[in-house]
Amino acid sequence: MLVAATVALTAVLVAPPSPRAQQPQPVPSGSLVEVIDDATRAAATGVDFTGEWAPRFHEDQPERVPGPELGDYLGIPINPAARMRGETWEASIQTLWEWQCRPHSADYIWRGPSPVRISKEMDPVSRQLTAWHAEWLRSVDRQIYMDGRPHPSESAPHTWAGFSTGRWEGDMLTIKTTHLKEGYVRRNGLPRSDTATLTEHWMLSGDVLTVATIVYDPVYLTEPFIRTTDYELDLHQQNPPYPCEVVEEVDRPKGSVPHKLPSDTNFVTDFATRCGIPIAAAKGGAETMYPEYKSKLPATPATCVAAPR
Amino acid sequence: MSMRVKTLAFAFALSATLVAQRGGQPPASARTIAPVDLTGYWVSIVTEDWRWRMMTPAKGDYASVPLNAEGTRVAGTWDPAKDEAAGEQCRSYGAPAIMRVPGRVHITWQDDNTLRIDTDAGTQTRTFQFGRAQSPGEPTWQGQSVALWEPGGGRRGAAPVLAGSLKVVTTRLRPGYLRKNGVPYSANALLTEYYRATHEDNGDSWLIVTTVVDDPRYLTGRFFTSSHFKKLPDASGWKPAPCSAR
Repeated sequence: MLVAATVALTAVLVAPPSPRAQQPQPVPSGSLVEVIDDATRAAATGVDFTGEWAPRFHEDQPERVPGPELGDYLGIPINPAARMRGETWEASIQTLWEWQCRPHSADYIWRGPSPVRISKEMDPVSRQLTAWHAEWLRSVDRQIYMDGRPHPSESAPHTWAGFSTGRWEGDMLTIKTTHLKEGYVRRNGLPRSDTATLTEHWMLSGDVLTVATIVYDPVYLTEPFIRTTDYELDLHQQNPPYPCEVVEEVDRPKGSVPHKLPSDTNFVTDFATRCGIPIAAAKGGAETMYPEYKSKLPATPATCVAAPR
Repeated sequence: MSMRVKTLAFAFALSATLVAQRGGQPPASARTIAPVDLTGYWVSIVTEDWRWRMMTPAKGDYASVPLNAEGTRVAGTWDPAKDEAAGEQCRSYGAPAIMRVPGRVHITWQDDNTLRIDTDAGTQTRTFQFGRAQSPGEPTWQGQSVALWEPGGGRRGAAPVLAGSLKVVTTRLRPGYLRKNGVPYSANALLTEYYRATHEDNGDSWLIVTTVVDDPRYLTGRFFTSSHFKKLPDASGWKPAPCSAR
């Protein structure tokens, strides 16, 4: 009732004055431009993210482009199970046929080394936005449905892109994604389960696109894992094709899967030792992402310099 | 405050604004027409650039920053002892860097047209002025910030939405560091920021700050970072600490 009253009050106040109260209006110019512009704006909801967006690696460049260090789990709210998966990960698993052309998943790809093209799909009759499409260099085409359809049943297939629906919160696009295949939160073996869900917020600031990704993973994370990433509009960018061909990279016995055993993980401390970072910090966990954790760190500067690559 | 209550409050505020404007009275204050509530205590969640934010990076570790040759040269002269001797321990707590410093921030309305941010790390205070020119003064660590609401879109004439962003442009900066290990920005740096808040299904609320630093003297192009803060229910954990050069 209160809502209705308020809406009514607002409507009265927002509504134009009655014709009797209006001042004499100027003679219309006859131009259709203003009319069309008004109609266009009246139908608009949210903002237009369409375009070619170039990633700006001004955060975590060493991790995102050349790749993360083994054993670097700093600031990620992982649990012991995720840590064990990371510590027993063997990079050469990427040479397996099944892994060679594996695309980055919807949650990770924003942080990956790829430009993105965003386009929109419009209903040809109603001219309403039905879906956004996002296509990175190293990913599959991803749809974000805007037509109000529900998410599929739990038994529906999981994909790299997952199933995404979006809604506007002002000019911010909020996206919920389910049905993801198992992926990773960092390219050094830290897993993200196929039960995880993803919330995204797309935000436009002039020619800068900021995307917040929040991963909720009951299997491998103890707290939501948030990252915010920036892209710049690039009118000269063209996302090239990225054909991927499976080849025999390593001659190994059939059925052999590269891995390490938990008893053979000493290498994971190399990064922390070299950089002067406490080994406990490098092992990650929710505690390491809060400012209070600084009290457990040495006052001396880190001892490693990321090589420009 | 529930979304319903917020909607009502916003609708009443808008109504009051319109009434005032029709009556020829002064326009409503920035506080009254705020399309998003940014006030409260927020804690930075350091899931990005951990090595360069939680610890003091090694001299020469400028990864991710688009420094030009002059910027690299100046960064190479970093000497924290010299900064301490000169009383310039706050060089890495200036406006272009402060939102990247791990800590808590407290956002309040200083008055109806001034939004204020206090940080516990470095005990810095930023003020964002809406709608009025500031008299030029000496450059400071936090510079002079002019603020503007950018309301969320939606259909013309439709009900207002409780979403939008705050755009802040900061100039008149005292030269400082983008990173603690001496990565410089100059007195002519132009800082543009966008502040937004989210409301998640699990009750979390995030403050997202997009930061763009434009400083041709030391950078090859604009320097983009975005930082995120989690909303806190109160001041617990607030621990003011002075600037540190190391």
